[in-house]
Amino acid sequence: MTMPLTVNAPVDSNAAPFLAVEHLTVAFGDTATAVKAVDDVSLTISRGEILALVGESGCGKSTLGYSLLGIVPPPGKATEGSIRFKGRDVVRLSKHEFDTMRGRDISMVFQGAMNAFNPVLTIGAQVEHILDAHPEVYPQRAEGRAYFNHLLHLVQLQPDRIWRSFESQLSGGMKQRVAIAVALLLKPELVILDEPTTALDVLNQRLVIDVLKDLHAELGTTVLFVTHDLAVVAELATRVAVMYAGKLVETGTVDEIFTRGGRRHPYVAALIDAIPSVLKSGLTVRPIGGSVPSLADPPPGCRFAPRCRLAEPECHVTEPPLLGDRHGHRVACHVINRSLEGLSQ
Amino acid sequence: MSMLEIQNVTHTYSSGTGRPVLKDVSLEAGRGDVVAIVGESGCGKTTLGRMIAGLYSPTGGSISFDGQDISALRGRARAAWRRKVQMIHQDPYGSLNPGLTIGATLSPGMLKYGLATRANVQERMLALLKAVGLDATTDFLQRYPHQLSGGQRQRAAIARSIALEPELIVADEVTSMLDVSMRVAILDLLLTFKKDRGITFVFISHDFGVVRYFAQGGRIAVMFFGYIVEEGPTEEVITAPKHPYTHMLLEAIPIPDPAMARERAQAEGDGRLTGDPADSGCVFANRCPLARARCRAERPALVDQGGGHSTACHFSDEVPPLLHVELANGEAA
Repeated sequence: MTMPLTVNAPVDSNAAPFLAVEHLTVAFGDTATAVKAVDDVSLTISRGEILALVGESGCGKSTLGYSLLGIVPPPGKATEGSIRFKGRDVVRLSKHEFDTMRGRDISMVFQGAMNAFNPVLTIGAQVEHILDAHPEVYPQRAEGRAYFNHLLHLVQLQPDRIWRSFESQLSGGMKQRVAIAVALLLKPELVILDEPTTALDVLNQRLVIDVLKDLHAELGTTVLFVTHDLAVVAELATRVAVMYAGKLVETGTVDEIFTRGGRRHPYVAALIDAIPSVLKSGLTVRPIGGSVPSLADPPPGCRFAPRCRLAEPECHVTEPPLLGDRHGHRVACHVINRSLEGLSQ
Repeated sequence: MSMLEIQNVTHTYSSGTGRPVLKDVSLEAGRGDVVAIVGESGCGKTTLGRMIAGLYSPTGGSISFDGQDISALRGRARAAWRRKVQMIHQDPYGSLNPGLTIGATLSPGMLKYGLATRANVQERMLALLKAVGLDATTDFLQRYPHQLSGGQRQRAAIARSIALEPELIVADEVTSMLDVSMRVAILDLLLTFKKDRGITFVFISHDFGVVRYFAQGGRIAVMFFGYIVEEGPTEEVITAPKHPYTHMLLEAIPIPDPAMARERAQAEGDGRLTGDPADSGCVFANRCPLARARCRAERPALVDQGGGHSTACHFSDEVPPLLHVELANGEAA
């Protein structure tokens, strides 16, 4: 492999990224027995990009998403590191500061958002509550409602019908799109979507993907979406970060992550090979042996080593650093990185 | 005569809109076959699966197992059929009784049907755990569902279904709640039982990728709001669909290849992804890009287009090839 690589090349030419997670650790429980759901993760998000945060259940991806909003459920808390956003460290905000930031600067669509609505109020009444709570964004309710109607139009729903509906009158796919519109109501700069396509059937998945692409093209909002579905990542993301057992193992553009034979973390390559897809006849699908380790007792060295085809003795002892090439494509793997020169932290 | 014969089954739930959830559905499966039922949420696939397992009775038509109408079975014959047909549900969190240990979940059925005795039931249960890839220990039999991971629970649910040595298993979205890396392992496990024990599978899913993997060499029936609109050999239906609805589903599937996804996004179809079924004529007409006057007037019958590949469409010749198949062929050429 002869990829040109340079030492310590800047990943981003702009001085400060839109959002920077630096050495973040989020732990649950006492320090002695703490389970680190997010373990020393560093990651940047650039303005206007769609970043996919990918991993299996329990890898820490949702916890990382929650920590951007200061809503990690107790006893979990950020014990180390920082999250820099608009010149502030999100980790150290007061409750009041968080309250003014949530929904305004950063908003979130939760997993299972189709169950997030109050069943005894119409969607319109719930939107009015949000508008009333934020007169600084919409001095007049009517302006807010007009913008909400515009958003509903963008997510391919009929505004008047939705406004009058109770959640029980909407399908799962419709509710997911309404939830996305609500999350964008206060014109946040960053929207976090947790598993936006999970639990939807194929056609509704397609609609949500198309709608999110349209919204992004129209509004330019920065998007972080958390998912375990790599096919959705390939369709929607511009950049990808992959987590495994609390650690970030690879970040790169969507093409770097998916290009067969490229420099990729063995976990990422194995995950892509393990997806049963319409593109593949059954013969080319290969399962990953073993299972994700417990975060209460992670294996030493590389956490993927016990399941890795390429693992060498060193992998079971020393944790591999996340090393980037000059394009900012970072991989944490001793074996993959060994043949390359000029990688940097 | 096939092992499972579904003839002109119609079903209407007493509550709700009064629109039938199944309309004139006919399908069969021979011993050791895999028949996949595919369609969007609300198409009736789960209702059909539950009827095959005997959880509901159809309001019209019949379901026969080994030549006997299952709704007419009584007494000993009904008990024998009950053992032979098992179901695995979508949600491994909901399908296991949270108050029962794994041992207490597995043993009663085996004892009832004389597949184990008090003396050897533990040994039989350990063999089952081993067969489904769980820890074959007495300690594991003492565990409750909440102490297991999602993948382990689904394996326990599979153990429960094979404990009765069934001949037919209805598997309803068995991998949709599992992690990606677990899915293939669970599918492989079920395929092992198909191969080693000759178990017939009715495999319900909305995910064509999973269906293509599981129903290799089998058949697929595509349902749209109560009707089977296409039925045929797995590879043929997935690579060369002949119904515009199947085509739409396959074109909609997110694919794990960014370059191909971009090319596909350029050429978006002009059908509608959502919308109510049509009340007269072809059920798919409201969403169909090919629909015209005849489709509104006359309901197309499910007709064999050759080679056992049937569609219910007046204009199935006009269904275009799949873009991702064309792109893949272009690459190969």
